[in-house]
Amino acid sequence: MSFRKRNIGLSTGGDRAAPVSAAAQPQQLASAASAPESTPGVRPSPDDGRPTTSTGTPSLDNILAGHGGLPIGKTLLVEENGTTDFAGALLRYYAAEGVVQDHRVHVVGMPEQWGRSLPGLIGPADAVDDKQDKRKGERMKIAWRYERLGEFGAGIAGSRVPTATPGEQAQPTAEGSPDKRPAFCHAFDLTKRLTHPSIANLNYIPLAPSNEPLLTTVHKKLDAAITSSPSSTVHRIVIPSLLNPTIYPPESCQPDSVLPFLHSLRALLNRPGVRATAMITIPLSLFPRASGLVRWMELISDGVIELCPFPHSADALATSGAATSHEEPPQGMLKTHRLPVLHERGGGSDQKVGQDWAFTLSRRRFEIKPFSLPPAEGDKEGQDGAASGAMPKKADLEF
Amino acid sequence: MPTQPPLPPLLAPYVTALPTSSLTVLSTVLGAQGNWLTLRYLYAALNASTASDATFSLSGDNNNNDGKKQKVVLVSFLRGWEFWRSEAKRLGLDLARLTDKRQFAFIDGLSELFSSPRTTPTTETAHPPLPSQPALRGGPIPQRTVLPTRSAPGPIPARGPQPTTPRPVAAVPPPSAPPAPREVGGPVTRLHWSSKGAAALDSLEKDIAAVVAQLKAAATAEDASEVLLLLDQPDLLLAATGPSKDVGATEMSEWVMGLQQYVDATVMTLAADLPLIHNASAAGHQMATPLETEHAAFAIGSAHRAHMVMQLRDLDTGAARDVSGVLRVSKGGAWGQSDNVDTNGGREEREVLYFVQRDGGVSVFGRGE
Repeated sequence: MSFRKRNIGLSTGGDRAAPVSAAAQPQQLASAASAPESTPGVRPSPDDGRPTTSTGTPSLDNILAGHGGLPIGKTLLVEENGTTDFAGALLRYYAAEGVVQDHRVHVVGMPEQWGRSLPGLIGPADAVDDKQDKRKGERMKIAWRYERLGEFGAGIAGSRVPTATPGEQAQPTAEGSPDKRPAFCHAFDLTKRLTHPSIANLNYIPLAPSNEPLLTTVHKKLDAAITSSPSSTVHRIVIPSLLNPTIYPPESCQPDSVLPFLHSLRALLNRPGVRATAMITIPLSLFPRASGLVRWMELISDGVIELCPFPHSADALATSGAATSHEEPPQGMLKTHRLPVLHERGGGSDQKVGQDWAFTLSRRRFEIKPFSLPPAEGDKEGQDGAASGAMPKKADLEF
Repeated sequence: MPTQPPLPPLLAPYVTALPTSSLTVLSTVLGAQGNWLTLRYLYAALNASTASDATFSLSGDNNNNDGKKQKVVLVSFLRGWEFWRSEAKRLGLDLARLTDKRQFAFIDGLSELFSSPRTTPTTETAHPPLPSQPALRGGPIPQRTVLPTRSAPGPIPARGPQPTTPRPVAAVPPPSAPPAPREVGGPVTRLHWSSKGAAALDSLEKDIAAVVAQLKAAATAEDASEVLLLLDQPDLLLAATGPSKDVGATEMSEWVMGLQQYVDATVMTLAADLPLIHNASAAGHQMATPLETEHAAFAIGSAHRAHMVMQLRDLDTGAARDVSGVLRVSKGGAWGQSDNVDTNGGREEREVLYFVQRDGGVSVFGRGE
């Protein structure tokens, strides 16, 4: 297979120093002409074959309407209630994934410290899941294309782990894996710092006041940066905490400022030849969903998810919310209001639509899983019965 | 669930044979987008054999059947050409080819509405070379196609908010000549928000009217010159500009009314989300922002002028696997104003469920069916 060779070529660099990543550019360009899917971090959607890229969070990729990632050219709006910063964690994963995949990451309105605090790389996302490794041996082999459909990330063990990273766990699994295709999604550790040669390539777009409207300037800079780069480059636009008054001046919160900006951003992403995705977060406590402005921002975005962290008073619920004792308790609810592609077509046919999702942020991952209410707190007997799992004793049944 | 024809029987009376000079409002919400229904209007108008019966042919090729054939102008403010082209393809409509045949025109209100074109030269060849046979049929619109523009006097609009002179977007070439190079995937006119308020709306109207005129002029003897105008979310204009730019509900309504004059029937998609409609009412617990007030006024005003209102909404009982949403068809304020009683035939108020399948097919069915 031709693309396998290419990937070996890409990852042979023992230490991926800056020149290597620079040299990778023309190589990508050459390969993009023949097979666009072979760009690192981009794969065809299992649903309809459109190119998608990972959000850096496997379980978030998983709920995006069966595409297994964020389709290229789409924006994802992440809304968060309260004062927590779970959405910020999602953004960091998204940016870190872009760095690792040599995508061009544009960060709007954040200082360079933001980029330095990206979470450290552990390895390909699936390698971290040891369950998957165990199952790998016994699973029946089916065509590799369909293999990935069932469970996200299964079967794509990657070799493309930059060796510059101190990823101890990643190395053995990568060597042991039979296929050498690059990983689509990686796992990151929030307590570590990402060290990767291409982290210097982060493009920071400061919100410097100028004589034209602020968001106009931002759009122009984004446009210029994307236009000037080779067409094979995959871009990621990261806009943390849009409209947050500590970052954005009040006048940019006016509908006639922010909505044209989002519209132009959408136009930019939809432009033929541009391969980019965007993730935007917005604090819902300041801009409630019940307001017309936020609704219009949602209408312009392709995907909208809302994070509702549990308040502290709900800690009791949270601890008991875990189905089993070794599962981590959920930290909040996640609602999907709109999913890319699916809703634009008319929506509704996704298998997972309408589920209640809970999320858990731990050191290693941001996990989204179906939310299930625990057994009632007072119902001791019910819980015990469920725990023992035994049939009622014969004596109990006799009259 | 049995597969239904591209135009489900329950839906057919509502999307075909729209009364002359009527306005149909299609209201959507965040979770229930109306693109599939817009595509059905497109299909009904462009696929001539679908006039009044429910026997539809799947292929988009038999456009030469008898039946009322319409031309369609689609103005989209939130979605690009690529989206409409690929979605129409699922219905068997080849928009690029129909564009060539001058039956369809797409007006792009997304790409450059609020951002200036990246290339500044405006003095380009007024008449680009005639298109050769479609080498790039259906291909994406190239990055920056040179649109045949008049040499625009005055400065180029730097960006939306700044007052600049309106730039003529698409010149009107002689009707006999194709208006744009073949590679653009049709004469894609890109709209620009140029200056302030009424002037900007006027220039948009002029651009759209020019395209309509081109289509009409291209009508030959055997084919009707009725034009259906599909406006996809023009309310974006209102939301993104607002009263501070001298655009309000009144101006928007007048704009739509002005556009209606050029065409035979108009279908308009509007967002009717709860915050956009109800925040403006006095019952709201908070102060309504101008955005909400104007939007509500525009949407409600349009519904009053409409012949029919097609409302899409989420299922009230939450999401389901085999139902995408609810379609409520109700009479608009202008119902029954047309002299011909027959034009209302087969259309009655009803509420049905719809389901959009993965392959783009739609089934429309009553509750419990």
